[in-house]
Amino acid sequence: MAMDIDRFVEERKDRWRRMEEVLDRAEHATEQELGPEGMRELLRLYRLTSSDLNQARSLTADPELLERLNALAGRGYRFIYRSRRQGGTLARLRRFLGFEVPEAYRQEAWAVGTAAAALLLGALFGALAVIARPSAAEDLIPPQFFTQSPRERVEQIESQEERIATIDDAALFGAQLYTHNIRVSFLAFSLSALTLVAGVWILFYNGILLGAVATTYLMDGASLFFFAWVGPHGALELPSIAFAGAAGLVAGRALFFPGALSRGASLRRAMPRVWRMMVGVMLFLVAAGLIEGSFSQFSAKTVPYSLKIAVALVLHVALLAYLFVPRQETRA
Amino acid sequence: MNGGRRGDRLVLTPEHVPIRLSPAGLGSRFLALMVDVVIILGVLGLLGTIVRNVLILTPGVAEAIMTTAGFVLFVGYPIWFELRHQGRTFGKRFFRLRVVDGRGLPIKLEQSFVRNIVRVLDFAPALYGVGGLVSLFDRDRRRLGDILADTLVVHERVPLRPQGQIRLERRFNTLRTPSAMRRIRQRVSLEEREFLLTLCMRADRLEESARYDLMEEVGTHYRKRLDIDAPHLSNENLVRDLTAALYNVGDPKT
Repeated sequence: MAMDIDRFVEERKDRWRRMEEVLDRAEHATEQELGPEGMRELLRLYRLTSSDLNQARSLTADPELLERLNALAGRGYRFIYRSRRQGGTLARLRRFLGFEVPEAYRQEAWAVGTAAAALLLGALFGALAVIARPSAAEDLIPPQFFTQSPRERVEQIESQEERIATIDDAALFGAQLYTHNIRVSFLAFSLSALTLVAGVWILFYNGILLGAVATTYLMDGASLFFFAWVGPHGALELPSIAFAGAAGLVAGRALFFPGALSRGASLRRAMPRVWRMMVGVMLFLVAAGLIEGSFSQFSAKTVPYSLKIAVALVLHVALLAYLFVPRQETRA
Repeated sequence: MNGGRRGDRLVLTPEHVPIRLSPAGLGSRFLALMVDVVIILGVLGLLGTIVRNVLILTPGVAEAIMTTAGFVLFVGYPIWFELRHQGRTFGKRFFRLRVVDGRGLPIKLEQSFVRNIVRVLDFAPALYGVGGLVSLFDRDRRRLGDILADTLVVHERVPLRPQGQIRLERRFNTLRTPSAMRRIRQRVSLEEREFLLTLCMRADRLEESARYDLMEEVGTHYRKRLDIDAPHLSNENLVRDLTAALYNVGDPKT
């Protein structure tokens, strides 16, 4: 035994106490308040404590001492290797929305493409199935949507009072819609990330439903109504669900195929892009929900269908342009 | 040699010092969650009273605000506190839990966000069915959100204070002579020290006769191993003094 444990503690306990003091101060101070001197001292103490912990482990099994050193070194480690943010809140926000969110979508275009393809292929499949055999719609679409024919429904909606007549109704309906849709997008993201396959399948399946419903309206001569009714919010909502699935694919790829990196490192590298994509999804879904709660609900009596479809097109193009037209990084 | 317990995760810092993290069990996490849910519901109740009665709003707008607030609080509360309070919500603080990332560092915004949005899947089909099941099979007791965000919930143990259990009421330690101490330090391995500590700490929970037999056996063994010549010392007290000497307990110097 090279060193006496009593002497070991005696010689070092002052610096451990000092490290605790410095950490107490540092954890509640800004870096300016701490100053370069304080940072240097903390770093020095952290390194000393780390080596003390290593030595102590070979000297003793005293749980009290080891626990204390472990906690102390752990606190120092957490403080020194934490990450820091830069820039003011507003500048960061502008950079985040103006550059980082769309950039993430462009970087992960493969995932966005895969998710969109699943949704569109599903829609095509649903449409073809209904065209080939109109009764297929009843097999594909859940029965609760089959209470009336498209034509009857259009007549009913157009002859009634507007369903959403006041801002009050619109606000409440919109809030319910976007909280629900965001929750659904979280679920789509999670399933997609943790299984990859299920995420793509859900998008494909929803595409089938959408394609089948659209085609039944089309074949019943109610296509204008359908696009005016679904378009304004659907222009943002449907891409958003695909985007949530795409963000899931990005996370899932990092989880299941980390390549040369460790799984943790691979996930941590993908995480910023996942976060940016999902913030985009949430923003789009809030906008979509507010539109769905109000504008989408107006029948031809209030707003001409051609105007509603034009709005839908503008929204969709604006969304895609925002995300996929490359732009220079704005200097914050 | 690191004194790690089963299920602990060791993190190697860049200085090559292993730091121990103990994944928290489901029970304490569930209780912490209950505390947080109660807090969120309380805040929502308070907010609801203000929005509905104090502010002059139409009922639809008031309900819209409450729907949004409910959603934002349930998703945002854990994210906010995990970021601002070193990985701890009120509930977690109460039960000494902390969310850290896979390397033992504080979690980042993106990690907190991901682990909290995957909660919708962990919660499914009801009361954390999926998440609970997954964490039973995970070595670090992680739910799906933790797996995807590379985070884990650790339990911060209170440092052990074994004084009382080891020494009981004994005031003098016969073994604390330089030659006996030297023999003790040379001949008792780390594993044996841990064994002795565990024995002393659990002794008072043993049945009288079992405790007597066990202490007799262990005491006799060490009396021989360490050449202790103290016929007046009972075997149980020998074991306790030996452990106390090993762990520096009850030493007037410290």
